[in-house]
Formats: sequence, C-alpha cells, structure tokens
Amino acid sequence: MSNTRRDALRQIAIALTAAGSAMELNAQQAEHVHSAAAADTKGGKYTPKVFNEHEWATVARLSELVVPADARSGSAVDAGAPQFIDVLCSQNPELTVIFTGGLSWFDAEMRRRAGKEFVAATPAEQTAMLDAIVAAERTVREQNAEEVLFARAPQYKGFSGYTVKPGTDLEPGVRFFDWARKLIVDAYFTSPIGMKDVNYIGNQMLSKYEVPQEAIDYAFNRSPFRIV
Amino acid sequence: MPQVQRSPEIFDVVVVGSGAGGGTTVRVLTEHGIKCALLEAGPMLNVAKEFKEHQMPYDVPHRGAEDGGAAYFGKGKPFGYFSTTSGGWELDGEPYTVGEGSEFRWFRSRILGGRTNHYGRMSYRFSPYDFQPYSKDGLGFDWPVTYDEMSPWYDKAERFVGVTGANHNDLPSAPNGQFLKPPPAKVHELLIQKACDKMGVYCIPNRRAIVTEPMKGRIPCHYCGQCGRGCQTASAYSSSQVDIFPAMKSGKLTVFDNAMVREVLTDGNGKATGVVYIDKNTRREKVIRARAVVLAASACESARILLNSKTAEFPNGVANGSGVVGRFLMDTVGFGLSGYVPALEGMKHYNTDGAGGAHLYMPWWLWDKHNKLDFPRGYHIEIGGGYGLPGIGSFQGAGRRAGYGQGIKDIARKEYGCSIAFAGRGEMIPNMHSYCEIDRGVVDRWGIPVLKFHFKWTDYEWKQARHMEKTFADIITTTGGRVTGLSAAQRESDGISTPGTIIHEVGTVRMGKDRRDSALNKYCQAHELKNLYVVDGGFFVSNPDKNPTLTINAFAWRAADHLAEEMRKGNV
Repeated sequence: MSNTRRDALRQIAIALTAAGSAMELNAQQAEHVHSAAAADTKGGKYTPKVFNEHEWATVARLSELVVPADARSGSAVDAGAPQFIDVLCSQNPELTVIFTGGLSWFDAEMRRRAGKEFVAATPAEQTAMLDAIVAAERTVREQNAEEVLFARAPQYKGFSGYTVKPGTDLEPGVRFFDWARKLIVDAYFTSPIGMKDVNYIGNQMLSKYEVPQEAIDYAFNRSPFRIV
Repeated sequence: MPQVQRSPEIFDVVVVGSGAGGGTTVRVLTEHGIKCALLEAGPMLNVAKEFKEHQMPYDVPHRGAEDGGAAYFGKGKPFGYFSTTSGGWELDGEPYTVGEGSEFRWFRSRILGGRTNHYGRMSYRFSPYDFQPYSKDGLGFDWPVTYDEMSPWYDKAERFVGVTGANHNDLPSAPNGQFLKPPPAKVHELLIQKACDKMGVYCIPNRRAIVTEPMKGRIPCHYCGQCGRGCQTASAYSSSQVDIFPAMKSGKLTVFDNAMVREVLTDGNGKATGVVYIDKNTRREKVIRARAVVLAASACESARILLNSKTAEFPNGVANGSGVVGRFLMDTVGFGLSGYVPALEGMKHYNTDGAGGAHLYMPWWLWDKHNKLDFPRGYHIEIGGGYGLPGIGSFQGAGRRAGYGQGIKDIARKEYGCSIAFAGRGEMIPNMHSYCEIDRGVVDRWGIPVLKFHFKWTDYEWKQARHMEKTFADIITTTGGRVTGLSAAQRESDGISTPGTIIHEVGTVRMGKDRRDSALNKYCQAHELKNLYVVDGGFFVSNPDKNPTLTINAFAWRAADHLAEEMRKGNV
C-alpha cells in the first residue's frame, strides 16, 4: 500500500476518534517509528549484535542452503534471514544459546565428517550433512508420533511392527536445524522477496471487491463439479 | 479523612465495561441526554498506535515473531503480534483458578472497546426457536422473551452496527434481517457452496458487522482483509469507534480508563448507589456514585463483581438472592478441520482478502431432523481459505516436508492458497458442572478475590463435535480435496475445543421470568435492584450457535431504553 493511501486512512482514523490532537501526535510518532524501522532494514552493511564473524558466516551459509536463490527469486540471505535471527537472539538469551550451541555442533559434526568447519566444507559435503540430519529428523518425528500414540493406546506397544525406532546421535543437530529452518523459512516468506515469490497481492485499499470469473472457471473446471 | 477517594460528581448512570454491551449502553443513554460515567479496566484506545491494520511483517525487525521471538516460545500475543487483542487468556497479575478435573481458559480484553476491536464480526441474530429451547426439546431453559419481541431490536442493532448479508425466506436458522449488500463469494467458497448443495447443506452470504456502503460517517470497507488487527476506518464495527467516541463528543460521557471495578455499592434499601474501583494508575481505591449502575464487564467479570459485593442485605452477593450468579456458564462448542483442494493449484492469483473473513457461511441445516441425530441443538460452519498474508509460521509445513533447499520454494508456490478450513460453532446445553465462583483464597494484584472455574462438556457436546468432523470431512472430499487437519492420535485429545477458547463465555447472570432461578428480568434489570442492569453475555439463558455480540447489542439497546424510560418516570 502506498504511503499516501496509508496517510489517507490514518487521517480518517484520527477523524473518527474522540480525542483530537493527542491521537494525531501519536499517529505521527507511529509514522516515525515505521520510517525508522524501514531505514534500518534497507540500510547498508548490517553489524551483527550477537554472532561473531565466523558464526555470522555460518548462519548466512545455512540460510542460503535452506532457501537458495533460483531463477525466480533470491535466497533467504537476500531476504534478511541472518539479520532476523541475530535481532531475535539479541533479545533472548535462550534463543542465543540454541543458535551459538547449534552452530558449534554443526562445526564439530563437519570436522568429524570432513575435517573442517561447516563453512569451509564443499557444497556437496554440506548438503550431505543436511541430508543426514533431515533423514534423522524424519526418524525422530515418526518416533515421537509413535510415543504419543503409545501413551494413549499402550496396548499396541507390544505388537510387532509397532516398535519405537531407535534414537540417533544426530539429535542435537536435528533439534537445532529445526530452529534454524523455522526462522530462516519465516524470514524468507515474510520479506518483500518471499511475498513476491508466492505472489501475495493482498492488504490493499480497494474501492470495490471483485472475484475474477476467469479464476472461478479455472477452479471449477479442475474440480469434480466440472461441466462437461 | 477517609482513605477512599470519592468522585465529587454524581452521575446519572455508571457503566462498567466498554465492549458491545457497555458501548451500546452509553451511546443510547447519552442520546437520551443522560449523563454517564464509563469505567474500563484497560487503557483508552489509541487507534493509531493500537491498530496495526496496514503493516507488513517486514515493517518490524521481528516480522511478527515479537521481541526475542516470543511467538516461537508460545509466549506471543493471542492471534499474533499484529492482532489488536490487548488482552488474552492470561493477564499479568490478574489470575483465575480452575477446579480439579476441570479445564477453562478465561479471555479478557483490557482496552476501550474490549473484544469488539478485534472480534470476527459474525452477526447472527437468534432464530425464533433459540428463545424457547426447553419447550422444543426439554433441555436447558427458555428465555423470558420471544423472537417477535426481540426482532425489532435486532433490526435496530443491525441497522446501526451495519451488517452484510441476504434474506432467505425458508431458512429458520438464519432469519431475515436488515442487511447491507454482501461482497461476492471467493473461488474456494463457491467450490464449498457447490459441495454443500450436493450434501443438502445451506451455504449463504455471511452476516458480518462490516459496512459495504457509507454509513453515519463510516466509510465503506476498503477490503484490506485485516479486520482482526482493528479497523482504522471503523468500517468494521467496534464499540470504541462507533458507539463510544461519538458519545464522548456529546459531552454527556466521562470515560475512566484503567479502572478495575471491585464491587457494587448499595444503600441497604434495595438500591445500587455506585461502584468501588481500583485506579490502576495509582493503585488507590475510588468510588463513583450514580443513580443507576449498568454492568457490562463481560459475563464472568460481572458475575465476579456481583459475587464480591456482599452486604447484610445481599449475603450471597448483590442481585444473587436466587444463587444463580456464576452458574450455567457456557462457551461455544468448537471444532476445526482443514483440507487441501488440488482444483485450486495453479490458479491465477487474485486478491482473496475481501471483507476480511469469509463471505459465505453455513447456518444449521438440520433444525427439523433432530430425531435422526444423536445430539440436541445445532451448529453453524465458518469457512477459511485464500491467499492469506504470509506471517510467522505460514510456510513451516513446506519447510518440514521439503527438509531444506529448492523444494521449500516449490511446495510453497504450488500449495499456497489451496487450503480450506472449517470451524464449527455449536450450541452447548447449560449444565450444573459448569460455573464460576469466588476463590476465597486468592486475590489479584488489585486485592480483588478471583474467580474459580468449573467446566464440563457432556456427551451432547462431544457428539455434536463428531458430527462436525464428519460433515467437514465430507465437504472437503466432495470438493475433490483431502483432509489435512487432524491425525487419529490428535483426535483423541483435541476432538473438541478447550472450554473458554472460543471466547463466547455467557450465561452467568441469566435472565428469567422467575426471580427464584434467575438474576435479571427480560430487560436485563436485576429482580432485586431496580437500578441495576447487566448487559453483557451474562444475561444469556442459552448459548445458541449464533455468535453472541449482535444479541448483546440488541439486548443492551433495549435495556438502555428501558432504563432511560424508568428514570424519566422516576422509578429509578
């Protein structure tokens, strides 16, 4: 939505309130806050508040691996995922521990696999490690689902074919990667790049609301209600 | 010198609470020229600061995850950062307790306008049969009023609030009303409507408190789709913008914000004389005197105030000679299921926001088939779907399924906007196990004894929820889609909403013909005190599958007119 439209709506909102000037002042303050936030995200080089240089590089590489650039759109790095993670960590020691600990585990695991830190590994070595984590994650997820099931229906636990899957040494990596992916994916799809990627076109000011007949026809022709 | 500060002014009426009931009351009373004081337990509403209607997630560094990613730790605002709830199920320093074996979550708004700033704007007038449910099936209780008596008040409320919709002469579950032109149905809604046609389920234009044409200074909806964030143009109704701000301009209304009411004062001769409140800014106790007192603090909060107002004259609490205050607490029966509709894949995107929520809904369709059902009463169905504003968590499914990499983008692009969701909203039968009382052992940070809740769904509600589940699954598969909502394991515990979470809690100060089993008469006036009214969800006798707000608007209007007339006649 353009700023002029926003301003127009704000003016209307102010006119509707009972207390005049105090509201207006706050509207202006709100605008200032907005412009400041916008400038902050658009501005030049970002200085991490929490991560050291090495961690910062690892977060960026992970972001790129989770949501890579393609022909249509940029990567999670272009969408500001590392900044997003750094900002949240800077406000939350619990999250900081999850990330600094997880990043350190990633380096240790890569050293074990390839004798180097995660960022120094080749793309093939990096994706091989992520593949292993994702495979372990699926095992853990199935296992958790079974535990939930058995907690509620313990009579099935003894049956063959219902055995709980064994744990995995990759579990700390699985737990961290779940956090990392969660934040990276959210950062991507809540950015202008990500929203454009999925072609989000809402939250506009429209004078009239219409549903295109073309869209209706398209869906109905692909549905069981197709008129043959 | 007394410790308690008295406001030197004596008001005509003091109104406690500023939601649909309190807002309507002060508007109507001030129009009658009556001088009102309005007490709100939260702050004054600052629309520009509070309503984040047109912000995008990227306008804030945390993108909506809130400071430190609170939303990821389950500590974010209810309904998300951008919503304008200003309250929630847990408030700092204002606890409540829950009886052993019960589960209940109590939602409270603390801001001028209360829940009307963010509610779903569903505006469903009761059906004729909703007022006499006991006469129909022998369960629960009848209201002391009939539909014919209330219909003109629904007309007034609909015309004032501004409700979209359409009339259907053959539909007892959705009586005719005073409707504004409804917006056109969206594509997924048309598919759902077609599926409903095949199943014999009615799917009709939704009835929501949103103006689609200019109305009394409110400009029509601009279709940004963000009603839950508050509506800066007041195109979506809120009591704050539509009732209270105009009433403040009349000069007849004084608003006291951050005023937490503890008790109603009485004179020992069957009359209320005012209220005692704690000024949250100074933590000092204050008194407001008035010729009449109107409670609209929300069903449970009003019950709490009455129960905490004990005197020699009212040993069970003011207006509680019957002992029903706090009893027969009801919420709405809720159940949700979602599905994926492949027919929508690859559709050229269009703006699916419209007037915020769904443009169609399904009123109860089996009102004459109860002999074939294993539960009483009924429910309506609300619809979700479309290309919603991406936010925190929107694409986590794609992330988990693809693991990482290009697949996440591929899934998101393909599946975005192809999901539909259904929410059933059904009628609970009032029961003896569901009530609130004062917990004598616990006070809140203002020193006010808190509520203790007891609640139980019975088989009636569980069976209704199972009927919802089967119906929703049938609709989804009839559109050619597949159910994605709940796994078998989840269903065992999540087969029905947690009591209180639909935020339709009503019934704790109910009205009735007989003062021995009700607290109020049909005008929301206390049987025992002529100058005390309760106009929030407390007066409900039953909780039909019609979201409560419009009924509160209608009854509060009627109560305010009644009070004004009684004051004019000198009876109050």
